[in-house]
Amino acid sequence: MIAPRTRRNLRSELSRSLLAKLGIAIVVVIIVTALFAPLLAPHDPEDQNLDNANIPPIGFTATENQTSTEMVDGEVQIVEEEVVVNTTAEHPLGTDSLGRDVLSRTMFGARTSLLVGLFGTAIAVVLGVTVGITAGYYGGRIDDALMRFADVMLAFPSLVLAIALIGLWGQASLRIPDPLVATGIAPETMPGDIVLPGTVIVVVALVNWVWFARVARGEALSVRDQEYVKAARSMGGSDLHIILRHVLPNSLTPILVLATIQIAAIILLESALSFLGFSGAQLSWGFDIAQGRQYLSSSWWIATVPGLAIVAAVVGINLIGDWLRDALDPDIEGQGGAP
Amino acid sequence: MTDLLRVRDLSTRFFTEEGQINAVEGVSFTVEAGSVLGVVGESGSGKSVTGLSLIDLVESPGAITGGEIWYNNPDLAERVAADQPAAVDGDFVDLRRLSEAERRSLRGSAFSMIFQDPMSSFNPALTVGEQIAEAAEVQRRASANPRSTRARTQGYGLGRLLLDSVLPDRSYTTEESWDRAVELLERVGIPDPAERAEEYPHQFSGGMLQRAMIAQALAGDPDLLVADEPTTALDVTIQAQILDLLADLQETLDMSVVLITHNLGVIARVADRVSVMYAGEVVERGTLEDVFDDPVHPYTKGLLGSVPDIDRPGDRLEPIAGNVPDLVDANMPDRCYFADRCPKAMTDCLTRPPEYEVGDGHRARCVLAERDYSEADAVPEGRLARPADAARGASDDPTPTTEESDD
Amino acid sequence: MTDPLVTVDGLEKYYYENDTLLDRLTGAEPEAVRAVDGVSFEVREGETLGVVGESGCGKSTLAETLMRLREPTGGSVTFDGDPVFDLSGADMDAFRRRAQVMFQDPFSSLDPRMTAGEIITEPLAIHGVGTGDERRRRAESLLEEVGLSADQIDRYPHEFSGGQRQRIGFARALAIDPEFIVLDEPVSALDVSVQAQVLNLLADMQAERDLTYLFIAHDLSVVRHISDRVAVMYLGKVVEVGPTEEIFEDPDHPYTKALLDSVPRAETGEQDRTIETIRGDVPSPRNPPSGCSFRTRCPELIQPPGLSIPQETFREIGELRTRIENGDIDVALRWEQVGDPTREDRAAFADSIYTEAFDTALPDADEATVREAIRALAEGEREPAAATLRERYQSPCEAVEPALPAGDHPAACLLGEQPDDVDAAREEWEADRDAPGVDL
Repeated sequence: MIAPRTRRNLRSELSRSLLAKLGIAIVVVIIVTALFAPLLAPHDPEDQNLDNANIPPIGFTATENQTSTEMVDGEVQIVEEEVVVNTTAEHPLGTDSLGRDVLSRTMFGARTSLLVGLFGTAIAVVLGVTVGITAGYYGGRIDDALMRFADVMLAFPSLVLAIALIGLWGQASLRIPDPLVATGIAPETMPGDIVLPGTVIVVVALVNWVWFARVARGEALSVRDQEYVKAARSMGGSDLHIILRHVLPNSLTPILVLATIQIAAIILLESALSFLGFSGAQLSWGFDIAQGRQYLSSSWWIATVPGLAIVAAVVGINLIGDWLRDALDPDIEGQGGAP
Repeated sequence: MTDLLRVRDLSTRFFTEEGQINAVEGVSFTVEAGSVLGVVGESGSGKSVTGLSLIDLVESPGAITGGEIWYNNPDLAERVAADQPAAVDGDFVDLRRLSEAERRSLRGSAFSMIFQDPMSSFNPALTVGEQIAEAAEVQRRASANPRSTRARTQGYGLGRLLLDSVLPDRSYTTEESWDRAVELLERVGIPDPAERAEEYPHQFSGGMLQRAMIAQALAGDPDLLVADEPTTALDVTIQAQILDLLADLQETLDMSVVLITHNLGVIARVADRVSVMYAGEVVERGTLEDVFDDPVHPYTKGLLGSVPDIDRPGDRLEPIAGNVPDLVDANMPDRCYFADRCPKAMTDCLTRPPEYEVGDGHRARCVLAERDYSEADAVPEGRLARPADAARGASDDPTPTTEESDD
Repeated sequence: MTDPLVTVDGLEKYYYENDTLLDRLTGAEPEAVRAVDGVSFEVREGETLGVVGESGCGKSTLAETLMRLREPTGGSVTFDGDPVFDLSGADMDAFRRRAQVMFQDPFSSLDPRMTAGEIITEPLAIHGVGTGDERRRRAESLLEEVGLSADQIDRYPHEFSGGQRQRIGFARALAIDPEFIVLDEPVSALDVSVQAQVLNLLADMQAERDLTYLFIAHDLSVVRHISDRVAVMYLGKVVEVGPTEEIFEDPDHPYTKALLDSVPRAETGEQDRTIETIRGDVPSPRNPPSGCSFRTRCPELIQPPGLSIPQETFREIGELRTRIENGDIDVALRWEQVGDPTREDRAAFADSIYTEAFDTALPDADEATVREAIRALAEGEREPAAATLRERYQSPCEAVEPALPAGDHPAACLLGEQPDDVDAAREEWEADRDAPGVDL
């Protein structure tokens, strides 16, 4: 898919780009965290403990207004006291209003984001590239019909469309047993299942495929005019042969770049949906932000930590995407003839 | 015949990721006033870069790294002599030692260039007349204020841009420049020039647009016109028209022309003197007769032998074996660059050859200018393999301006 | 060499613009770009037929349509007796194995993501010939045959030079053992020294494998070198065809003569060779001139019967007429130049245009006619001005479309022999002109 010369190029380009390395580092951390969450997380993310509610992250102070009753001058009065809440190493990033460990929740939340991001993008790519290449290669009425349909899809604001579809289909999700917990490598207290929010994945794919279709179509249009395609036809190659052997491989470079950047966009979309309460997963960055919204002035860390996680993920992925686009750019043949 | 331009030992290098590319290496030639110099070579010969170097249009990552370009202009010499006596030699000024601003002021007025593809040389959003008038306008302002380089290019800033967009009748060019533009269009043989000037580039055919480009290049009455493959993209019947035009203009305006091309027929049609380039060097130079009838360098001979003759078809062409070398410095061998393809390579050729004098004004960078080929001194097989090259195909288009990477 | 291998008969390929749904709704006329406009010729077994012409003549479209890479709008092509445009299924496959194409652009004719070996064996893969190993061996031997080295089989196109890529393209065309190869400008993008290498290779292979070539090029010297017969094309039509020697030594059609003349020779003394450069540009294939499409530039344009003025003058009048008909002259602008805003001094107007258009003096009768036309133009009457000139100066070449007669070396020009129907049309036109009411 990527020409061998380009692979060599990429390696040397990579060694020179600090930002790309940073992006890769961030993304790798997130992936590892998601994969090994049951092992890395200090607590069960769903473990509620009201006694430990609203503990701030280490290094920060928070005060709570504790109310109690006291006898003052023979009357029962409600007294408010400001009590300092102690941070603890047990909960390095604090706990939420139900006493659940924020760090653990954030780690597990990575799973949801990554799953939705990867699967959602994958489906969008398959759908979009199929439509786009068909439209670009055949042209004419097929192209017109497909692209008008794509335009219609594009006319819907993505969030509104997503909410509508979820409303229509419900929030179905798939539960897959987590191998790390099942085999006993991770503590039994950890959640035993990986939750795959099926509806959300399908929905984000449906909302995003059009971008891929457009890019794929553009590529197919230009590849179609190349002489090597004419050569393949003159040899007797069928349309399918030409599309699979020539058009598709030569169209994928910009798709790859777009996919990388779209993963970030999809993660954001999922977070928005979770925030609004439309997600299938209870363990998600967006969901936590929603929970923590009301406490922003007091227990601000409940929303902020997952928020920062989202920022990190999106920034990391975008850094990679940007670098990839620039690195793959000189993927053009030189021009012949006398200089 | 006086000399207009004397180029001595010019070198232009490109500093890229793949390494240093020696596009032009130690090139010397002379352009006489009112004559045509043909620079002929194939891909990778450095001929285009040479042309760009003359006008100082070489852009990063390239730069002229050595040599002198002596330009015959007594007025300029006088002006410059006061500040930089080292840059002046009689009536000649070494352009390389002038300031950036000075060199820029010479573009358009002393030197001018036309390129291969006329369609991309014009702004599709402006009329042809407007663009030629612009060139004329720049020159008009320059001659109005000869000492100020700022006056020459002054005019377009943000303020003017905003004003021009808002007020309908303003324009950068004056009526005088417009008239000159129409005059120039007529001069280059475009019928109904006043009407044509109001049209846009896409309304012109290839041949007419090339004429328009020539018109624009003439706006400043240049002493020297550099034409880089001006007819390569044109049909042969149109090419004939354009070559006639160039010859005619050159004569009536007493202008010198440096014509860069790979087409030997074109050279034969218009050139007085010829320089043959290979791998960044001038391998042979002289008058047209010298080079075509009495070539010394085997590359020149090989080139002439590989062109099919339209009047006398032979049975077999005699191509030059092998490929053009890639010009990356690290890979360039320390011998005659042509030796690996040369049917007459001798042990003498294992060192870099200087320019030998063959006759009056006829020079060749080959030891065969002085002695005959002798089998006894032939180079043994295998001695001439290129350093970074084995059975691999090396690109025969190592133009530094492309982004192709060969590792 | 009895029946020709390939016969092309009246082949047409038009592209229609203004043909979308919206255009039809708004009533816009579909405009036809006549890329190939009725081409007939044959290619004999074992020969090389060169097709030469400048840009816009339709030679590349001809190649693609002939090979059925595009569907024609009219005409037929027969390959070894089979009608190419009616083939389907197994017969079509067979055609695709016997006829191959080699393309022009070394940079886009090879898929950058395939190795040399994969590129060369693709036709074998498509037709299911041989096993993987067999194909690989075949690729290796083909590489050697075309002058490359077998161990380059796994390299990618960008690792080869332009000339080497063309060799790979040629090896690909040879892979399936075809009989007929269409070569579409195979050496145009190459340096001269490399071009010579590839031309030698093409000639050698043809001899060795007894191939038939249709060789398309714009470079006449190359065409002369390699072809047995040559067809010259202009604006979608073949204007002359014949044995190479005859075409180059003794051309009949004025366009062929002009084309040959225009090629600069690489020899000293070239500067002394006077040529008559033909004027003007190639007309647009959207709107080819009536009658003979070369008439707008032809130095030998036939004068109407009864007219006998110097040829140069006749052409100048023709050019003036074209400028008037096309509306190239901006009447308002001219009045401005003359300096008469009241537009009364038509004589001055006429003078300005007259002196611009003519270098030499005209005979009296002609000068009168021309001035009359220009005066009409001065009043904005473009069509009457043009009509005045047309009446007197219309050439038969405008009204009658020439065609290729039968024979070994036909030329589509009214100056020479023509088929009967063309002669008849010409007589008819002359008769109409001589009819009473036309005043010469």
